[in-house]
Amino acid sequence: MNYSAQEFMVSACSRLIKDNECVFIGVGIPLLAGVVASKIHAPNSVLIYEAGGIGAISRRLPWSISDNATTDNALVATELWRVLGDVQRGFVDVAVIGGAQIDKFGNLNTTAIIGPDKSYQKPQTRLPGSGGANDLASSAKRLLIIMRLENRKFVEKLDYITSPGFLAGPGCREKAGLKGGGPEAVITNKCIFRFDPLTKEMYLDELFPGVTIEEVRSDVGWDLKISSDIKIVEPPTEKEIEIMHKIDPLGVVLGRKSIQENQSFEDYYQIMKKCYESMALLI
Amino acid sequence: MTESNYASKQMTLQEAIKKYVQSGCSITFGGFIGRDCVAAAHEIIRQGIRDLTVIDDSKTDVMDLLVGAGCVKRWEGAYLGYGAIGLAPNIRRSVEKGVPLKIELEDWSNAGISMRFLAGSLNVPFMATRSMLGTDIIKYNERVKVINDPYEGEPVALVPAARPDVAIIHVQRADVMGNAQVWGFTGNDENKARAARHTIITCEEIVSTDEIRRQGNLTLIPFYCVDAVVQVPFGCHPQSCYGYYAYDVLFCGDYHEAAKDRDKFLKWLDHYVLSSEDHLAYCAKVGWDRLQKLMGMERRFNRIPG
Repeated sequence: MNYSAQEFMVSACSRLIKDNECVFIGVGIPLLAGVVASKIHAPNSVLIYEAGGIGAISRRLPWSISDNATTDNALVATELWRVLGDVQRGFVDVAVIGGAQIDKFGNLNTTAIIGPDKSYQKPQTRLPGSGGANDLASSAKRLLIIMRLENRKFVEKLDYITSPGFLAGPGCREKAGLKGGGPEAVITNKCIFRFDPLTKEMYLDELFPGVTIEEVRSDVGWDLKISSDIKIVEPPTEKEIEIMHKIDPLGVVLGRKSIQENQSFEDYYQIMKKCYESMALLI
Repeated sequence: MTESNYASKQMTLQEAIKKYVQSGCSITFGGFIGRDCVAAAHEIIRQGIRDLTVIDDSKTDVMDLLVGAGCVKRWEGAYLGYGAIGLAPNIRRSVEKGVPLKIELEDWSNAGISMRFLAGSLNVPFMATRSMLGTDIIKYNERVKVINDPYEGEPVALVPAARPDVAIIHVQRADVMGNAQVWGFTGNDENKARAARHTIITCEEIVSTDEIRRQGNLTLIPFYCVDAVVQVPFGCHPQSCYGYYAYDVLFCGDYHEAAKDRDKFLKWLDHYVLSSEDHLAYCAKVGWDRLQKLMGMERRFNRIPG
């Protein structure tokens, strides 16, 4: 079975979503993971999108958390503040988000890479900001984080904490007044990290086949703890891959192609038309 | 105040922007990366309005264009990116390099900024939230106040009411009184319209008040918070409008590529915005056939009721 690292991430994340969960989902990889879960082992899970779509049955890949497809056949089409309020209220079981930088307590930075001699107001690289990520990390019962394991992404100290993990360690979330459970796992293109229940520190728990502990360590900016019982992640199944390709026929999320590589508008129109026809009620 | 509740507030986009959007004012836009007020942003750029304070949740095209065109002084909000396509090129150039102007930043989370609109809409000074606690959002944003809840004693974050001078909200349909009906997700729009001093509704279609009455549940924004009603078909392009047309992802991809380079962006801006007399001229440049196809993609399955 041939698969890419992106496809592996989608598959590994999807398996952490349980049946009958209300799943608050970001677009891109988290979305694919949610859909794969709902098609395989979690048929009764319900996807919730930030702009206000709950329980959509989309006929094509939503391009954003507020694309029209996020309210296709939705159970509810409501408000941004309402669905985020529902997370705070405790109706949402699991949220899946990404990040640009993460530290050992699972805190995330999506605001700015500030850089030396720079400031918050004038950083080296300005990122989009929180969006709803802070809200989900604050209040979702379970939090799954998906991001690529690359140099300078897993750092000892963040330039800016946008979304709370376990903050500075045990007891900090409670002290700050946060009600959500905090991060449960970080799914990367090479491995899965989990958090020590006592120290709240991120440790290496599962490796993708062919990846070594040293390889993971070299991309992590702190003295990474390793599980004494390290496991190997099961690779994606044919069925999982098939579903991913059906949802993302252009390969944009799966990283096979960039949007600019997508030929002419006419080609795009034909592909979208086909999506609607063949994918009826797929998601 | 109009003389009669039932008086028409219909005007052109040029008139509405000229009347309600002044340089130096604070403004918020409806939609949420979808149902965006792109045509209104173009008109703001054409009229040379400057020094705007934008108070908003999450924005892509609208903010990247306004910042690239030098219209914005300050941002208070949660997300400034370009969706699935990447980071927002003009935002980065402004923040990192001060080109064409450095915008001031005040970061919020989406729930945090949403509570500011809710407070504004209720005419109360602040709202409480459990978001942003323990993070650097609070460190750099002094207007988030963490207090111990006077009832239970636990920490909670307070956010001040947002009261923008003007809200511009694009909806699927409205009557000339300003009753605005929305299908699909609704973002923060009902609160933005109520929090603002003035609200401009732009819409795909203008319908009769009798038609509005047939489905009053769909009226998100009532006439009494509306100052102007403007029909702007395809007013969200290249973003989507639920039930009307799909997201033009390829157009956005091309824009994003062009906007990475300042000179190419200025050419893009000149071609599509500055040298287009109005929104119809923009539509003609995008191509009516293309817009019809985007409409076809959407309407094939998402049909508005009635």
